Amino acid sequence: MNYDYIEQLIDRYFSCQTTLQEEQILRSFFNGNDVPGHLMQYAELFQYEDEAKQESLGSDFDERLLSIINKKERVVLNPQRRYVPFFRAAAIVAIVLTIGSAAEKALSDKSSHSVENTEINPYIRQADIQNTIKIKDVSQAEAKPQADSLTVQPAENKLQ
Amino acid sequence: MDFTRDILPLKNILFRTALRITMNREEAEDIVQDTLLKLWERRTEMSKVDSLEAFAISAARNLALDRIALHRNRVISLNEEIHDTEDNHPSVFDNIINNERQKHIHNLINQLPEKQRTAIQLRDIEGKTYKEIAVIMGISESDVKINIYRGRDFLKKNCKNL
Repeated sequence: MNYDYIEQLIDRYFSCQTTLQEEQILRSFFNGNDVPGHLMQYAELFQYEDEAKQESLGSDFDERLLSIINKKERVVLNPQRRYVPFFRAAAIVAIVLTIGSAAEKALSDKSSHSVENTEINPYIRQADIQNTIKIKDVSQAEAKPQADSLTVQPAENKLQ
Repeated sequence: MDFTRDILPLKNILFRTALRITMNREEAEDIVQDTLLKLWERRTEMSKVDSLEAFAISAARNLALDRIALHRNRVISLNEEIHDTEDNHPSVFDNIINNERQKHIHNLINQLPEKQRTAIQLRDIEGKTYKEIAVIMGISESDVKINIYRGRDFLKKNCKNL
């Protein structure tokens, strides 16, 4: 068998001129059974290169690392989780307020405008009441109805 | 980015690289752990990195070099032999390499200066291109070739003496 090609590859390997593919060819060749005596001196080197790639870390390493990461993630998440009940409460408050205001609006739409007016402008109502009282007074004593209505009106202006 | 899918698979190449530099299994394992955890913590930045693997190997190598420097300082301060921390671990690969002659090759590679050793590790064991090795080691491609050339030359001369 002619080993010219392999010998040439070996020479090129030691002068850093081989490609990665050619270096793989050398490793495969020296891991085979037909290595001639004069090339045996290189066999161990190329066999070693293949063997050394088997060196690895076991699954116990993976487990240890994953447990470290899980612990760290929990610590990182904790501050956020602490606020979860607060966010829930805030959401409930927001819902209650929304429903409440919607219901209020719906009810007020149904009710009469007069009620709305008395609510918005209580002084008119107060004045009305006062007037009715005054009217009653007037009915009791009809002597000075105009003077009474005049005393009420300045008070109204002041408040407005 | 997923830890089990994107980061954990780097463990073996990082382990072999760190082991080649520190020549101590426990330290190499520590370095891999530190590197992988740092990558995970900085995973948002890592998505911008061209090659996560190259970045990771580079980071692990720097950690390994730091540890070696730390040992050297300690050893010097104790007035002990500097090479005590290195070279005295012939059984590092015991569980993989049983053959005496392969152990000899293993020891020969570990006698090389760190740059030659790491460059040979990345080229001949990990199958990286000169360009990738240049990026990982932060040196030029021609420097990578020079280091590999010198390393292989040493191995060639010494494996003949087997």
